[in-house]
Amino acid sequence: MLRKLAYPLFFLLLFPPLHGAAETTPYRDELTESATKLHLPDDRYWHVLLHYKRGLFGTESLVDDRKFFLSPDGKHDPSAELDAAIDGLFADGLEEQTIPRCRFPARYDWLIRRLGVDLTKLPEVSCPTLEEHRKRIDAKSASLIFASGHMNAPASMFGHTFLRFDSSYESPLLSYAVNYAAQIDRRDNGLVYAAKGIFGLYPGYFSILPYYDKVKEYGNMDQRDLWEYRLNLTEEEVQRMVLHVLELQGIYSDYFFFKENCSYDLLFVLEIAAPTATLTDRFHGFTIPIDTVKAVRAEGLITDPVFRPSQARKIRHIASSLDDADIARARSVLDNTVAPEEILAVDIPDAEKGRILDLASEAVQLRYAKGQYTKEEYQRRFLTVLSARSTIPAAETVLTPIPAPEQPESGHGSSRVALAAGIREEDFFLEVSGRPAYHDLLDADDGFTPGSQIEFSRATVRYYPDTGRFRLQEWDLVYILSLAGRDDFFRPVSWKFRTGFATKPFPGGSDALVFFLNPGGGMAWDIRPLGLVHVLLETEVNVAGRYQPDYTAGVGLSAGILRQMTRSWKTLLMARQMAGVLGDEKRGREFFVILRQGISLGRRRAIFLDVGRTVSPGVHYNEGKFSVNFYF
Amino acid sequence: MKRILGIVALTLIFASTSFAGPAGVAHHNTGCGLGTMLFEGGANDSSLLQAFQATTNGTSGAQTFGISSGTSECDQPKKFVQNERLNEFVYANLDTLAKDIAQGGGESVQTLAELMQVAPEKREAFYRNLQTHFAEIFPRENVEYAQVVDTIVQLSS
Repeated sequence: MLRKLAYPLFFLLLFPPLHGAAETTPYRDELTESATKLHLPDDRYWHVLLHYKRGLFGTESLVDDRKFFLSPDGKHDPSAELDAAIDGLFADGLEEQTIPRCRFPARYDWLIRRLGVDLTKLPEVSCPTLEEHRKRIDAKSASLIFASGHMNAPASMFGHTFLRFDSSYESPLLSYAVNYAAQIDRRDNGLVYAAKGIFGLYPGYFSILPYYDKVKEYGNMDQRDLWEYRLNLTEEEVQRMVLHVLELQGIYSDYFFFKENCSYDLLFVLEIAAPTATLTDRFHGFTIPIDTVKAVRAEGLITDPVFRPSQARKIRHIASSLDDADIARARSVLDNTVAPEEILAVDIPDAEKGRILDLASEAVQLRYAKGQYTKEEYQRRFLTVLSARSTIPAAETVLTPIPAPEQPESGHGSSRVALAAGIREEDFFLEVSGRPAYHDLLDADDGFTPGSQIEFSRATVRYYPDTGRFRLQEWDLVYILSLAGRDDFFRPVSWKFRTGFATKPFPGGSDALVFFLNPGGGMAWDIRPLGLVHVLLETEVNVAGRYQPDYTAGVGLSAGILRQMTRSWKTLLMARQMAGVLGDEKRGREFFVILRQGISLGRRRAIFLDVGRTVSPGVHYNEGKFSVNFYF
Repeated sequence: MKRILGIVALTLIFASTSFAGPAGVAHHNTGCGLGTMLFEGGANDSSLLQAFQATTNGTSGAQTFGISSGTSECDQPKKFVQNERLNEFVYANLDTLAKDIAQGGGESVQTLAELMQVAPEKREAFYRNLQTHFAEIFPRENVEYAQVVDTIVQLSS
């Protein structure tokens, strides 16, 4: 009994019904009546405000924090919540956080407008903190910001989106950014992260931070480019978003990596400003950040973006304007073999000296960010390079602007279906294959990170008409490959992680479905004119009843060249030799070579041609396959 | 079957640790001078760990409502104390600002000029002035932001 009472009691503590808010007064009844007449509980805007979605078990708010609802039944009952909100109109108090009208300003802004509430009939309420925050944010317009993937972390390759409230300051750095993210526990390890992230075990919160902090975070620390899309919204619409973000402060929703993620929850905020736009309803199962940008664009809310290059791109750009001798000079400053002032004495134009030192100072920052210097060492090196640099006038060193790559939303669709026909030795086959997300090494790179692949749940079924054999050929649960070129300034590690099921041939013409797990790591170099050359050390475990004993584990090497032949034509030549070391060692031995060609025909279609040979004890075959890919 | 599970577990551990490298090295650099305010984690070379972290776009700590960022741990500038936005900006962007001042231009000095209400036609001269006085603005490696603000204000008055 006591327990049952505990929650309502707690609730009363939070929102005390001063002045008898819960009592019925004639005006309150009048408002309830007109709310019913206007069908407000079913109003689309009410559902956007409270993040209601219709699901299998009826209507439910995606917000999981009880603090967000004024009614104890608010999460499931839009009507009860609206009643409680009308009650809340009559509440006042001393603590701003306990006054519903101050705590949920967007909700009440709408309710008061829709009901035509006569404010003189309500208790007088002032919300000084709310007003102060609004003034400080000073939103005049807003932008949708897309952070592209980290060049070498394909999971971040899905990108990230957040909002920016553009203020009356000219400089966008002084605007505030609104971000939705999971609050993680740093003590968790990688696999726990993944599991908790996928199954909604982290709480997601909205945050407000100065945009310069986000620029430092993404541009300098993570080396991710930012794209800034100005939203076509009026100041009034933008102000509504501000109110909604403020009422979401400290309120959590369970964070799900695949759907209710950083980009999805942001769409609710956009719908607050543009309620006629269909945004959240477009996404089922997967919400890929770049797809939300495409959706916002399809609703006519944004046009072409402003590009803000990452520090890595800046470094590469400066380096590309220098010859080898100058890059060697920058390296020697970085390696401490030449003092920055000595560069000033070299007999080259001032412009070149400036760029050498600019390259050195950026690289010093990069090394510090990677933890290669102590703070003291960084401060010393950074300042000596900059003091030398400050003696060269700005006008001397003007560099061409950094060229922007293709806009991320111009890339191919994330989902792909492929129809293929091929031949293995003498056997003709047909294939159908599909994947919900995201990018294959051979898919066109426009808008994606070159040299990267990340695919989830790509399934392929194959049919051999002559023998009537029908097989689940491959089901890649996850296939991540990151080939990142090493150069003078960047030393990334290339790696792969692949796991799933595949039908593998066994001696004597039979085959079996095998579970495999295949991680690997190595290096890659962008060698012109060859292409992206890579070498990986791989391990692979295969599990199936056909093995003696039930599994085989091997290690081996793979090497390949990925080359962009023309803008729309890519080739990959790859070979791999594995040796069995545990379990069914004989079956673990396998050599495999493949030549793949990918030709993109615009954003929606591409054709692939693969030819390859596989050799293992008792099994060897050649295979060729032609496929047509459709992206959506 | 136990052995199979063992192998799978081993491979997973290998996968999640072998490329972890320097991932998770956090920069807990607090202070009031150069090289502070760098974010935790982030730009490590590739690692599966990082890939997993990226699944959440996670943040940790109480960094959820940074409407005004704290400069309270630091000495405050003598002049211009009333310009809170200027103080916060210089504090949070000291490294970029040092770079832009040395280069005689850039987005952060433009922002600085706006915060100090330098008239648009006087900005080029403002940038040049700061550049030529770089050594005064940053006289020591461990110079603190408050002193940088003071010197800049003094130079431009």
